[in-house]
Amino acid sequence: MIRTAKPRNARSKRALEAREPKLVENRKSTLFLSGTSTSDLSRSAMTDIHSLKKPDAIKFTKKNSIHPFEDATPLEFFSSKNDASFLVFASHSKKRPHNLTFARTFDHRILDMLELGIDESTFRPLTFFKTSKPGIGMKPLLSFSGAIFDSVPDYQLFKSMFLDFFRGETVNSINVEGLQYMIHFSASEPTEKGPTPAIHMRVHLIKTLKSGQKLPRVEVEEMGPRMDFKVRRVQEPDEAMMKEALKKPRASEARSRKNIETDIIGDKIGRIHTGRQDLSKMQSRKMKGLKRRPTEDTDGEVTPVDGDEDNGAKKARLA
Amino acid sequence: LTCHRPVLVEKPIPIEFDMGNLCAFDTNPLDPTTYSNSLEGCLNDAARDCAQALINQVLTTLPMKSASDGVYVELPDPVTPLPREKPLPRAKEPTKWFLFAKKKGIKSKTKDGKLVYDEEKGEWVPKWGYKGKNKDSEGDWIVEVDGKREEKDDDKNPRVLSREERKDRIKKNERQMKKNEKR
Repeated sequence: MIRTAKPRNARSKRALEAREPKLVENRKSTLFLSGTSTSDLSRSAMTDIHSLKKPDAIKFTKKNSIHPFEDATPLEFFSSKNDASFLVFASHSKKRPHNLTFARTFDHRILDMLELGIDESTFRPLTFFKTSKPGIGMKPLLSFSGAIFDSVPDYQLFKSMFLDFFRGETVNSINVEGLQYMIHFSASEPTEKGPTPAIHMRVHLIKTLKSGQKLPRVEVEEMGPRMDFKVRRVQEPDEAMMKEALKKPRASEARSRKNIETDIIGDKIGRIHTGRQDLSKMQSRKMKGLKRRPTEDTDGEVTPVDGDEDNGAKKARLA
Repeated sequence: LTCHRPVLVEKPIPIEFDMGNLCAFDTNPLDPTTYSNSLEGCLNDAARDCAQALINQVLTTLPMKSASDGVYVELPDPVTPLPREKPLPRAKEPTKWFLFAKKKGIKSKTKDGKLVYDEEKGEWVPKWGYKGKNKDSEGDWIVEVDGKREEKDDDKNPRVLSREERKDRIKKNERQMKKNEKR
């Protein structure tokens, strides 16, 4: 861990405080960098993803001799210096052409890494699609199609990584005008012949049309980039680190209100706990006729009483 | 005719949502025939369905507010557990002085201000800092010599002693503050 120099003025002190761990975190920043040899395609893909991630993105121009799966310490160093929790490393080699390595960090240490190969034939950059592009920093809609994202561990990691990568800032409310584009990931089912199907990434602009009904008709227009990924190497997160990273602060837990429930109709029902009642001291309706009277019959026969006596008395009162 | 186009999305496996992240999870498999015949068409359809489902979800389930600059929808908390970028902040340990002061009931003197009434001069002077009252003894033209120190035969000039004591106190304070930072 690199310890920075002690802040000499208020501005540098504020910058340092912004990097400290907080209850509600800052937006995650991404660092884009290249390896010793890159292809046009991998660089173009990296540029396109960089433009989707603006303004929370930093791009390095120089080439770096890094092999993430052998030694990821340089990535950790860059992460801590630039306060970036995501790293995208582009490289190209004969064995792994058009390679993009996505890495996530926790506390500036590598949490997990995912190596993806881009399909040369299907790649289309942003410039290929002649449409308007959404504003910078817009929160995208995300979707994942395919059951494989829940079943196969590598694909589950992909889902977690890319959901985290593209989701942007967590906000309480959003303007409907701001729902401009959607990033869609899909994959077919794994088969005997193809156990690792390609993951298709398509980015569309959302267009709403009048439908004559309350809900609008939604149409999508592809705006790019278009990439098909092949999952290569994966580095799973260390369990202990992941557990710590998923910890939630206690303050944010919603205080559960006990004894209040909402039933199926939607009515709020509360439960009031009263103490135990002493039944012997309870005031009940007095039926004077049923009162025990000393009778002439000694064998305990209860003299039959006119039950209307009480009602008659009641009626008299009402009148 | 747009009124004939369907706006609802009906799928065998219902689509799951995480509206806090504006995300839809569609576990329905892609149609294998269209997938192999026309990949882009197949993906476009799947994407359109997901987009329609998401917009429907936004407009039907989320509470809406009208503000001066547009219609806002309130998003719920995200559902999918995603890792943080940094660990949860540690609560700062209270310093030894803080605990001592709390126990004794000593309160901070900052509210009294920096100025102190000087009887001799008849005006308010700062207690410390520039032209502070604590430095008065350092400029005295007569300095009392401590008997014990003379015996010990210290090399120090008795005139400078008061200033040195003050400087030592300052340094000690800095050292203790650094120790507190480390805790």
